Amino acid sequence: MAAPSLIPLNPVRGVSDYDLLFDCVHCGLCAEACPTYIVTRCEMDSPRGRIYLMKSLAEGRMGLDDDAVRHFDLCPGCRGCETACPSGVHYGRLIEGARLLVEQNHRRSFVDRFKRRAIGAIFPYPHRLRMLLAPLKLVDRFGLRPVLGAVLPRMIHDWLDLLPPLEPDLRPLAAKATIAPRTDAPAVVVHRGCVAQVLANSENLNSERLLGAAGYRVVQLEPTSCCGALDLHSGNGSRARDFARANVRALKNAGADAIVSAASGCSVAIAEYGDLLKDEPEFAEDARAVSSKVRDLSSLLLDAPARPKREFRCRVTYHDACHLVHGLGVREAPRKLLASIPGVTIVEMTESELCCGSAGSYNLTEPAMARDLARRKADNIIAAGADYVVLANPGCEFQIAAELRRRGSKIKVVHLADFLAMASQ
Amino acid sequence: MSTSTIDRKLLDELREILGADGIVSRATELKVYECDGWTVEKSAPDVLLLPRSTAQLSAILAALHRRGIAFVPRGAGTGLSGGCLSLNAPAMICTSKMNRILEIDFDNRRVEAESGVVNLHVTNAVKSKGYFYAPDPSSQVACTIGGNIAENSGGPHTLKYGVTTNHVLALEVVLPDGEVVELGGPAEERCGYDLVGAVVGAEGTAGIVTRATLKLMREPENHRTLLAAFPDADTATRAVSMIIASGIVPAALEMMDQLIIRAVEEAFNVGLPLDAGAVLIIELEGLEAGLTTYADEVAKTANLAGASSVRLARDEAERALLWKARKRAFGAVGRLAPNYATQDGVVPRTCLPRILRVIAEVSRRYDLRIGNVFHAGDGNLHPIILYDEREPDQVRRAIDAGREILKACIDMGGSLTGEHGIGVEKLGEMPLMFSPDDLRVMTELRHVFDPMERSNPGKVIPQPGACVEVAAPRRQVPI
Ligand SMILES: Cc1cc2nc3c(=O)[nH]c(=O)nc-3n(C[C@H](O)[C@H](O)[C@H](O)COP(=O)(O)OP(=O)(O)OC[C@H]3O[C@@H](n4cnc5c(N)ncnc54)[C@H](O)[C@@H]3O)c2cc1C
Ligand code: SF4
Ligand code: SF4
Repeated sequence: MAAPSLIPLNPVRGVSDYDLLFDCVHCGLCAEACPTYIVTRCEMDSPRGRIYLMKSLAEGRMGLDDDAVRHFDLCPGCRGCETACPSGVHYGRLIEGARLLVEQNHRRSFVDRFKRRAIGAIFPYPHRLRMLLAPLKLVDRFGLRPVLGAVLPRMIHDWLDLLPPLEPDLRPLAAKATIAPRTDAPAVVVHRGCVAQVLANSENLNSERLLGAAGYRVVQLEPTSCCGALDLHSGNGSRARDFARANVRALKNAGADAIVSAASGCSVAIAEYGDLLKDEPEFAEDARAVSSKVRDLSSLLLDAPARPKREFRCRVTYHDACHLVHGLGVREAPRKLLASIPGVTIVEMTESELCCGSAGSYNLTEPAMARDLARRKADNIIAAGADYVVLANPGCEFQIAAELRRRGSKIKVVHLADFLAMASQ
Repeated sequence: MSTSTIDRKLLDELREILGADGIVSRATELKVYECDGWTVEKSAPDVLLLPRSTAQLSAILAALHRRGIAFVPRGAGTGLSGGCLSLNAPAMICTSKMNRILEIDFDNRRVEAESGVVNLHVTNAVKSKGYFYAPDPSSQVACTIGGNIAENSGGPHTLKYGVTTNHVLALEVVLPDGEVVELGGPAEERCGYDLVGAVVGAEGTAGIVTRATLKLMREPENHRTLLAAFPDADTATRAVSMIIASGIVPAALEMMDQLIIRAVEEAFNVGLPLDAGAVLIIELEGLEAGLTTYADEVAKTANLAGASSVRLARDEAERALLWKARKRAFGAVGRLAPNYATQDGVVPRTCLPRILRVIAEVSRRYDLRIGNVFHAGDGNLHPIILYDEREPDQVRRAIDAGREILKACIDMGGSLTGEHGIGVEKLGEMPLMFSPDDLRVMTELRHVFDPMERSNPGKVIPQPGACVEVAAPRRQVPI
């Protein structure tokens, strides 16, 4: 049995923020809000368990071993625990700290290193991703993806499975605003993201057009670089800060009153620049200002004067993308917006706030757990009996659509911006 | 008590029964199982077993029995008295994978569930038909039915509906040697000895509960939820007695003092009056006809007692917010201090003002902040003592302060625990309340279920001959 151990006077700095660990009072009320706990039903895959591991590491009561790393890796960073926690634990910051520690002190297996390097080298750079996908586009044109999948190694095959069809984008675009907005109308910038602008640009364009039609002045961001969330969630703090600085500069220059993104993970990353760059005198103030301007598409559209809408008869279930609901606390606005379309009936699915397993690049690095979560999400969606699943994050869209495709389901998965565009056609 | 340990052969046997994902034996992973909500003491088991069925559980208990190995049951680990601390019990058995609701029988108003089902999930499964499971501990989003049964848990609505034992009709229990027994039955009225009653509240010392048949209650037609603010805790507690004396029995009658109000406001922004010394949440329920009259009456009584304001929750959303604040108050306290220890004493309702004065005095003398949030209607106190585990002296003071408060409760004719159990936390105080003869009889009763004391050893009943004044907690990490 464990011998009594002591809390060292000098906790190991660098394992998360030691003082922040004490926000957790070990009550356990977060367990059932945690997707990985729900699947494995083990404490080390619960928020409380992970925080306990961080604390034990910080106190030198254990060393960083493969087991600890595995349980940190298995966390998709959905932040369901932040919503559930009555004690106000900043879990997002804690896990980011733990991930940094892991990357600096732990040697991963070759395959793992390869995967992570590939993701980090390609995803944040739209031109690289486009280049890589060009041949696949051709394959898709001839409907040959299944053939390709069959001859490629398992891992690549699984990754391909998650990609949406790359045929020329058939998603409808909202009509452009016909009246120019008043010059004193609030200015909004849509951050187009990295992967999103390659794989789901209709969501960006539709967000802009819907905002324009609602009377906002849409300003463009030049240049757009990755928000840094991918790096932050994989323990690459220095590049995350590089991206953050570039974005702070660009967003400040754009001079917008509000910043939105079709990808909720990007929104949250931008909303946390203030925190990320707080120790850099040159950027701290601008970063805080930029962060305070982050809004979500649905709230902005609801704030604008309502205009008559066309009828669009269908049953819709809404999936709460993790970072939108747990990061920005946006729950009601998208539902209200959907309900305001005549003919739309909203049917709630169970566990709408539970992570679907997409979580940035999580479905590529932790495919087994991601798949378990996707299955659970698909079960709940199918049980709700809707024609459409609407959500506000491209990652969730690909993940859920892939799972529904595998099931042969006819339910369509559509981003909120695309759905609103479609409903207004 | 067992001293045998777990060897490779036994591990293989257990793995054979449970499958690879039903057993955890690596030190890093076991570490997170070294304590529950009572974090003062820590001790990890040597192996964690996660059965999925009664058959698996029975097989592993039989295997442990053959080797004479002791075990500790665990549900969600939200216990506040160290009930699932692994003390001289190398094996921990967690019911988290036994979480199926087996049968819902609306006609006879009962539900059969495995013991690892989360309390709130029972209500979630039946609420669409207008039913609910009444015991509602504040930890209900996470704690399990098995844990509730072991601790005989209550909640805010205990005042009207009673505690867990009033809602359990039948149990399936696996005894420490692996034998599966059925206790009680579906009928409300039973004859013979109440064996279900003996297992409820036994804190896991009578084997492991695997299934329970629970009563369902019909949702009342309507509610009225009032928030009354008072200048100080004294006035609030006097109001409690006056309300009950007026003949109205609210469904719930909860109090929060100023420290808690501030923590809760910071966390949830429910609009509690920050300048109040204490607030009462008073819930009335029943048929719509008459509710308004009762609510008026309660408001009048509260005003008479000295309330500075009384407010009625306007709608369901506001009511839900008030309850969210109340139920998550413990957690919100985490915002005030790195650690807290929750006490759980009971006093006769009329002694509430007196005990609160004692608590305030203890708080001053030990130089520790103590908040109060509790089931005032039942006289069930929950002083929350704030401390910082990094300061050994504070930990010791917190323990002593808690002990002194409990002793005062007993002196006023109350009890050591209303709902959180004895666990290891209050072992030392048991002799304050029970004579050696009482404790011997309890031990004999336990032996009927667990003759070798292998099920959750070292809990509830202090070892005979052990020093009554347990001065230092076992295995305490910070000191
Ligand atoms: C924030 C917070 C608020 C709380 N509020 C309340 C409250 O309002 N009212 C209240 O009564 N309690 C409350 N508690 C205490 C705790 O939640 C209850 O005691 C609960 O019943 C414990 O359930 P659990 O599943 O977490 O059990 P655990 O903590 O895992 O175990 C508790 C005890 O039960 C035993 N046990 C568990 N499962 C079984 C089983 N299947 N068979 C036999 N023995 C078993 C364990 O050995 C242990 O002794 C609160 C706790 C917290 C953290
Ligand atoms: S993270 Fe929050 S909810 Fe979870 S155990 Fe810690 S304090 Fe409790
Ligand atoms: S972020 Fe999500 S998966 Fe990770 S611990 Fe919190 S709830 Fe669990």
